[in-house]
Amino acid sequence: MQLLDKLTILADAAKYDVSCASSGAPTRSSKGKAGLGSTNGAGICHSFTPDGRCIALLKILLTNFCLYDCQYCINRRSSDVPRTRFSPAEVVQLTLDFYKRNYISGLFLSSGIIRSVDYTMEQLVRVARLLREEHLFRGYIHLKTIPDAAPELIAEAGRYADRLSVNIELPTERSLVQLAPEKRVVSIRQAMQQIHHGEQQAQQERRAPRFAPAGQSTQMIIGADATDDSTILHNAQTLYRSYRLRRVYYSAFSPIPHSPKTVPFAAPPLLREHRLYQADFLMRGYGFQARELLGGPGNLALDIDPKLAWALAHREQFPLDLNRAEQQQIARVPGIGMLSARRLVALRRERRIRLADLLHLRCVLDKARPFIITADYRPSQAEQESASLRQQLRDSPAQLALW
Amino acid sequence: MRTLYVDGTFAGWREVARQALLQGLAPHQLHWQDADSCPGLFDHGQAALPASTGHLRVPAQLLQQLECAARYRGEARWSLLYRVLWRVVHGQRSAALAGDPDGSELQRRIKAVRREAHHLHAFVRFQPAPAVSEVDLLAWFEPRHDILAWASRHFSERLGQQRWLIATPADGVHWDGQRLHHHRHCPRQWQVWATQPDSEGQALWQAYYSSTFNPARVNPRALKQHLPSRLWRHLPESTLIPQLINQARHGAQHHSQAPVLLRRPGKRIAPPDSKD
Ligand code: SF4
Repeated sequence: MQLLDKLTILADAAKYDVSCASSGAPTRSSKGKAGLGSTNGAGICHSFTPDGRCIALLKILLTNFCLYDCQYCINRRSSDVPRTRFSPAEVVQLTLDFYKRNYISGLFLSSGIIRSVDYTMEQLVRVARLLREEHLFRGYIHLKTIPDAAPELIAEAGRYADRLSVNIELPTERSLVQLAPEKRVVSIRQAMQQIHHGEQQAQQERRAPRFAPAGQSTQMIIGADATDDSTILHNAQTLYRSYRLRRVYYSAFSPIPHSPKTVPFAAPPLLREHRLYQADFLMRGYGFQARELLGGPGNLALDIDPKLAWALAHREQFPLDLNRAEQQQIARVPGIGMLSARRLVALRRERRIRLADLLHLRCVLDKARPFIITADYRPSQAEQESASLRQQLRDSPAQLALW
Repeated sequence: MRTLYVDGTFAGWREVARQALLQGLAPHQLHWQDADSCPGLFDHGQAALPASTGHLRVPAQLLQQLECAARYRGEARWSLLYRVLWRVVHGQRSAALAGDPDGSELQRRIKAVRREAHHLHAFVRFQPAPAVSEVDLLAWFEPRHDILAWASRHFSERLGQQRWLIATPADGVHWDGQRLHHHRHCPRQWQVWATQPDSEGQALWQAYYSSTFNPARVNPRALKQHLPSRLWRHLPESTLIPQLINQARHGAQHHSQAPVLLRRPGKRIAPPDSKD
C-alpha cells in the first residue's frame, strides 16, 4: 500500500484521541548541531481543522489492526474498516519530513494491539528510539502507553518521550467491563502509577534518567455509557490527586460506522463536553472540589457555566467586596478569572477598585455585577432570586450554538 | 518643525533619537521621515543633527519595548517611540504603560508584533529547495509587520544544520547553517523560488489534514476564530477547507470517519482464541 493511503487510514484511526498538546517539554535546541528539532516549553498550533481543533503533532497509529474489541472504537477487531500498518521507518520519515516543512512540532504515536501487549509497546518505543538516537530528533514526542506492558518498556518510553498517556477510557469500572472487555482498571492504574513514579524519581534524583518531562495525561470518553458528570468529575479529581496528571481529556463519544448496539447512535451534545472542560479547569486552576461543582448525582447545567452555577447556589457568600476579599475568593466570582483577580489585588494596593477597572481588565461584567461590591458600586440585584438571575445570565442560544 | 530621517532600522532611529534628546528637541518640534518612503535622501547627507556628546539613562526594559514596537508597520512609527521615550526620560514613567494613551498604543503594537512572530513560527511552510539555491529548504511568507529578521531565529534552533531561506514581499532571511543573513530587500530570485508550487510534497500533508479532521464535529466558526482567513493563503491545506466543511454538513454521513474511507473494503479480525 502507498504511504499516502496508509497515512489516510492511520490518521483517521487516531483522531479519536483528542490531546494535541505540545507544551511542557524542556528547552532543547538544534542550532548548529546535527539532528533536528527544538522545544521551548510553549506549544505551537500549526494549523486548525474545520472542527476548530489545533494540529500541533502528527497524530497517527502505528497500525489499526487490533485484537481487542472496545465497543466505542473504530479500530475494534469486529469493525469493518480498511486496515494497514506503518513500518517504524515510515513513521520516522513522515515525522521528519512534516517537521522540516513546519507542519508539526512533533509526533503523537499510538497503536492498536497486535500480537501481544509487549510486542506493541516495543514497536512504539522503537519508533521513538529511532527518532531520538539515530536522527537526533529534539522535537516533541507523545507516546501512548499500553496498560500491562512490561515495566522496562514503560521505563524506556519515558526516556524518549516528552509525554506519556494511558487512557482511562471510560468513567467507571462497570462501563469498562461492558464496553472494553479486554481492558482492566487495575492495569490502567498500575501503568499510571509507574509513570507517576518515574516522573517523581526524575525530579528528585539528579542522576536519574529523564522521564516524560511534560508529564502524563489521560482521556475519558463521554456519552458512550450512561455515567453522569458528577461521577466523571469525581473520578477525574481522584486521577489528578493520585497520579499528578497534567490533563484529563474528555472526548465526546463520536458515532462510528457500523456502530455496535452496545453504544449510542448519536453523539452527546458537544456542549456537555465543553462544560466538563470548564469544570475541570476550575478544579485544576481555581481550587474547586468536585463536590462543590456537583454535590449530588447528576450533570452540569448546560445553560450556564459551572462557576456561575456554583455562585448562584452559594448566594450567602456574595456580594463580595473586591476591596477586601482574598484573591482566591475574588477568582471565584463569575466573570472574573484568576489573572484578573491577581491584577485587582495588585491594583488595590495603589487605590480603591472601581467598577470601571473590571471593564479595563476585560472581565465579563454582566456576569460579575450581581456578585460584587466596589468603591462606587453595590448590586441592586443582591436581593434578586437565584432562579430569575439565572434566567437573565444564561448563555444565549447564539452562544450555545457555537457548540 | 524639524525633519529627522531614519534609515528604517531601530538602531538608526535610536542614534538619531539620542541626539535629538540630548539637544532637548521636544516631540512636537520634530517630524520623522522614513528613508524608505523617500529614497535617495540619505545620499544627500542632509539628515544629520550636529553630534552631541553625553549620556542618557534609559531603563533597559523600555529600550526592549521600543525595539519591539518599532517592528510595527503603521502610522507614526518613529514619532510614537520618540514621544514615549521623551516622556519617560522626563519623569513620566506611565508613558509606557497601558493606562496612558501613548502607552496603550505602544503596548498594542508590541502585542501585534508578538502575535505576528507567533504566526510566522506556526504558519510558515517550508518546501525543499532547488539545488541551485544552495539551501535545503525555502519558504514564502507575507508578514504584517517587520518581524522577519528577529522572529526567524526560531528556525535556526528548530532546523539544526539545514540551510534555509524565507522570502517575503519586502525583506528576506537566509540561514547558511552557521549564521543568519538579513536582506532588507529580498532578492528577486528567492521570491521566484519560494513561490514555486510544490503540489507533490504537499499531498501527504493534505491527506493527513483531511483524515485527522472529524466531520461529525464540524464547526466553521471555531475554525475562523482560531485561524483567521487572512492567514489561509500561507497554508497548502486551506484549499481543502470549503470542501471538507461542505461534505461534513451536507453529506449523508453522521459519523466521524473520513469520507474517502467510506466505501473502502474493510477487514474484520478474528478473536484471538479462535485462531489456534
Ligand atoms: S485497544 Fe481498544 S481502543 Fe485501542 S485500538 Fe484496540 S479496540 Fe481501539
